[in-house]
Amino acid sequence: MSDAAMAVVKPEMKSYIWLQTVDGSIQQVEEEVAMFCPMICQEVLQTGMGSSKNYAISLPQRVNPAILGLILDYCRFHQVPGHSNKERKTFDEKFIRMDTKKLCELTSAADSLQLKPLVDLTSRALARIIEGKTPEEIRETFHLPDDLTEEEKLEPLRNITDDPRIRLLNRLYARKRKELKERKKLKDVEVEEEPKDERSVEDLLSFINGADGDMKGTRTNKNKKKNRRRKDHAKDLSSKNENDKDLNPLPSAYHNVYFDNALEASASKHSRMQNLPAISFSPKFEVIDGDVDDDLDPAMKEELDREVEDFARRLNSDWPERMQILSLGQDRRLVPPISMNSNGSTHLYTALAGNSISKVSGS
Amino acid sequence: MRREQPRSPCLTDVEPDRISCLPGHVIDQVLSHLSIREAVRTSVLSSKWRYKWATLPILVFDTHCVSVASQDHMIIKNKLLRIIDHVLLLHSGPINKFKLSHRDLIGVTDIDRWTLHLCRKSIKEFVLEIWKGQRYKIHSCLFSCQSLTHLELFNCWLKPPSTFQGFKNLKSLDLQHVTLAQDVFENLISSCPLLERLTLMNFDGFTNLNIDAPNLLFFDIGGKFEDISFENTFQLAVVSIGLYLNFEINQSRLHGGSSNLLKFFVHLPHVQRLEVQSYFLKYLAVGVVPIKLPRPCIDLSYLSIRINFNDLKEISASLCLLRSSPNLQELEILARPEEQTVLLTHTYCWEDVYFSCPVMQLRYVKIDGISGIKPELDFINFLLLHSPVLERMTVKPVANVGLELMKELLRFRRASGQAEIIYLEPS
Repeated sequence: MSDAAMAVVKPEMKSYIWLQTVDGSIQQVEEEVAMFCPMICQEVLQTGMGSSKNYAISLPQRVNPAILGLILDYCRFHQVPGHSNKERKTFDEKFIRMDTKKLCELTSAADSLQLKPLVDLTSRALARIIEGKTPEEIRETFHLPDDLTEEEKLEPLRNITDDPRIRLLNRLYARKRKELKERKKLKDVEVEEEPKDERSVEDLLSFINGADGDMKGTRTNKNKKKNRRRKDHAKDLSSKNENDKDLNPLPSAYHNVYFDNALEASASKHSRMQNLPAISFSPKFEVIDGDVDDDLDPAMKEELDREVEDFARRLNSDWPERMQILSLGQDRRLVPPISMNSNGSTHLYTALAGNSISKVSGS
Repeated sequence: MRREQPRSPCLTDVEPDRISCLPGHVIDQVLSHLSIREAVRTSVLSSKWRYKWATLPILVFDTHCVSVASQDHMIIKNKLLRIIDHVLLLHSGPINKFKLSHRDLIGVTDIDRWTLHLCRKSIKEFVLEIWKGQRYKIHSCLFSCQSLTHLELFNCWLKPPSTFQGFKNLKSLDLQHVTLAQDVFENLISSCPLLERLTLMNFDGFTNLNIDAPNLLFFDIGGKFEDISFENTFQLAVVSIGLYLNFEINQSRLHGGSSNLLKFFVHLPHVQRLEVQSYFLKYLAVGVVPIKLPRPCIDLSYLSIRINFNDLKEISASLCLLRSSPNLQELEILARPEEQTVLLTHTYCWEDVYFSCPVMQLRYVKIDGISGIKPELDFINFLLLHSPVLERMTVKPVANVGLELMKELLRFRRASGQAEIIYLEPS
């Protein structure tokens, strides 16, 4: 009988706090359990809310009803002062066993309720999950998008990341950079190390503009290779250079290249250098690696340098002189019509003129 | 209300990423439970995680953070240097705690550079442990860092500049294997008004300890010193002092017979735990040992003494303490074996020593390292006779003691009916 009396008396003795979650649902919770959360405690003491259904305390957005249930379980256990530290620890360990998604939600909700011990517990659990996993595994666990580019991944934290995959990427990347560097170096090198050319300028130009068969004997793979290499990073070269890809000499193709480059007359010095025919020297069949040196001794190099500069000077000379040179090849079908006097074809005109001659407006 | 068991997650293609949107301070907390290596590795997870680690408030660089298992110290050292440089440079925001403690790191000038950087970042806790090499001279910029609340140094040499005004916010100071001059030490202690915890182990450069710290709560020292005194330390609750120097008492040091014991306890009215280690009891026994302290240590509940039972003065000193601690509950007696067993040349009369015996509230007594000589047995007898609420006494003798000790222990009368005497085998 007394038990029944107690059962009746109990609910009245207990006081409840009313809580409303973001979805609108309201529930009542025993006062001592709810007051364990600092945020709720603060609300009750400062605003007096929570005493009835109409004045339920609105919980932060991050607390949904399911998570609220978990949090209240936690509070219900821990607010009892009688438990020993060991008991609390055992409870915590059991409590924290849940899937990762729920764990994240719980962390977020506990933080918004300012329940520091629970935040501490959940963040330790999250740390334990992250610990020891590879980046792929972590992404898998937390559904993180793999949206970093390879380069970003390798950026400055290389020393710290120890993942073997990242190290492999490092190596490949470093190798590629090395390759590019060396190609660039060789590009600069070959500009200086052009083969010595004995012929006069006129000869050269007549060659360019004249008979196409001259080239046959003199071509070597070396020049082929040079073209190919140049093609890699001199992006202004037209796609016509693709003929050069295979190692077998194709005079006509080569010749075409020469023509096109002469006609384009791009400002860069080295493409002008392309117009020089190849001198026959010992053919070297090298691989693409780019760590090959031209087999020239220093004396010859100097000669070449001088020749190159000379030729460059000539090409950079006054316009009339240049036009004169070029007009020699007017009958060549690949040569687009260039008229000295007309106002037409100004595109080429101005392109050839470069910076020294003022633009002539087109007709 | 019972929760149903959480369902296993159903992975869909559009499963949302829930962890990245946790607030920054929560992510900091998660990452701070990982080693610095693991924390920085999270930067390759996704674009959102690229710099989440960079706001870590706690940076710990210890033996675990360099994974290279190389025997070459230069490699490890260089790698560690690069890592710390990288991390410090990429870090953003305040740094609360910085700890550098690596087995292979020898004091280098890089530490100076990092110290300067940290001081600019308003560091609060600074822990530096130099495991190898000479004492590392702390850079002077550290002494102007007023944000420090905890400073812990191992194997360092402190020489603050003349402009040093103290650490106004320092609450905890831990110096082990350090060198500092006498005046530097005194100035350091007295100019840190908020100091609550002080640990000093194996120091040199100063021998007189004058502790002037009004907020001090915890005091733990072990080293060689000549003199110790407290000033304004009325809140000191836990004291542990170990004097590692077996000094010779010369008559001139007696200061006219004043008791060190009295001097020591004058400014310790509220001490709760006291440990008297190594030769400190010998130091306390210098001078005329009083029977009882003028003001009892009413808060003292735990006492641990290392005592030489062959020295009558030490026995007297410990009895004085026992008489002056009415609320003592736990007692630990560690016998100090002397090389030359200077036996008491004169047999003492029990009543001369064990008089004015109070009723003690002792509950737990632990006795370690005794060899069964008469003074020890007398002391145990005394304890048993005057501890009516004793619950347990543990006795652990040195090796090769024989059965005599056990026989005597059995014989002793006990004031407490619940007292257990547990005889432990010597290890």
